[in-house]
Amino acid sequence: MKYTPKLLTKNVNTSTTHPLKEFAILTGGILGALILVYVLLGFVLEWVVVPHIPQSVERSLGELFLGNYAVEDSPERQYLQGILDRLVEHEPSQTLDYQLHVEESPMVNAMALPGGHIVLYRGLLDRVESENELAMILGHELGHFAERHHLIGLGRGLVLLVLSATLLGDQSGITQFLQDSLATVESRFSQRQEQQVDEFGLHLLQKTYQHVAGATDFFERIQKEDPEGPLAYFFASHPSPANRVDFLNELISSAHYPMGEKTSLDLPE
Amino acid sequence: MLDLALFLILLTIGYFAGRATEHRHYKSILLREKASLHLPTVTSKMLPEVDQIAKSFLVTGSCVISIDYFKRILAVLRNIIGGRMTAYETLIDRARREAILRMKYEALGSHIIVNTRVETASIFSSASQNGIGSVEVFAYGTAIKLKKKL
Repeated sequence: MKYTPKLLTKNVNTSTTHPLKEFAILTGGILGALILVYVLLGFVLEWVVVPHIPQSVERSLGELFLGNYAVEDSPERQYLQGILDRLVEHEPSQTLDYQLHVEESPMVNAMALPGGHIVLYRGLLDRVESENELAMILGHELGHFAERHHLIGLGRGLVLLVLSATLLGDQSGITQFLQDSLATVESRFSQRQEQQVDEFGLHLLQKTYQHVAGATDFFERIQKEDPEGPLAYFFASHPSPANRVDFLNELISSAHYPMGEKTSLDLPE
Repeated sequence: MLDLALFLILLTIGYFAGRATEHRHYKSILLREKASLHLPTVTSKMLPEVDQIAKSFLVTGSCVISIDYFKRILAVLRNIIGGRMTAYETLIDRARREAILRMKYEALGSHIIVNTRVETASIFSSASQNGIGSVEVFAYGTAIKLKKKL
């Protein structure tokens, strides 16, 4: 047998597809499919699952979360609870037992937790100047309960976790990449929800105080302190304060809500 | 957000570094293959007549090549939908050719390598947790030095 030396000129063992092209096709396809599944599951949660969660389940869920936010019954908390109770009286469809908590944290934020718990952060309390303003914020959070957004949010978070964990395992980088992409989708949902509950809060404010003075004060103040352009808010969970002020002002003028005297907020020491 | 930035940076580094290394490696492989073309390397078990053999000895060559970050991500994505793992093809190809080249280098001075075998193993410690994901190719054969050139 004669040996014929042969140099490889063409390599049949490797593909000629450009890796970047393959990467683009794969990420595009998988990300697209995941976003579709995520959005669809989100709608299923919102329309099918969440309306059927009984309040007893919600209450026990709330207890799980509440471990982090200890209830300290100070005169201040009772005073704030009073404002909340007054609002709740004008919202007869609500059957949850609403409780207010103050969290000693400089964050300017408030949260609605399952089971009727509203958490106010110290940073927010420090910035609020009138009772009406605070009532608007509480009304906003009550709106989240009325629309059961806190449960939908919980469900969506779960869907996201399950999707990325089962498909990709604990690949920190790529899971993060997917989560951030889906969070962008989520922010679109969330901004719509926020607008819904701003509207809810405004109507509740009118029902409780017979006027809507102070409804936009808080957002106006935030906007002055943090004059970021509207673009910064595209990916955020909340619309920009400027948009919220505009939206509320439009609602106020179209519903012809009157402006009255603001009640000042005196927090007991 | 920091995680994502890190991911994208690693992806970019992985892509460009991986491409450059691969390009350089292929260039060197082609050059050395050409230079070592004179040494027949066959898989046949047929030996020359025993009385013609001056010396015969085992030659081995082994090569370990690692995937880069970009290829790893590409493979993770490919894993979901299936299909040709093109990202790994060049990896295996390079490892195999490099191992054979190293084996031939060890056989310098002999006239032929017979009974060449190539084996592979993955050197792998949970690549899913950013561990090691490499492949080893091991080539071995019998180098034969003849009393008189064929």
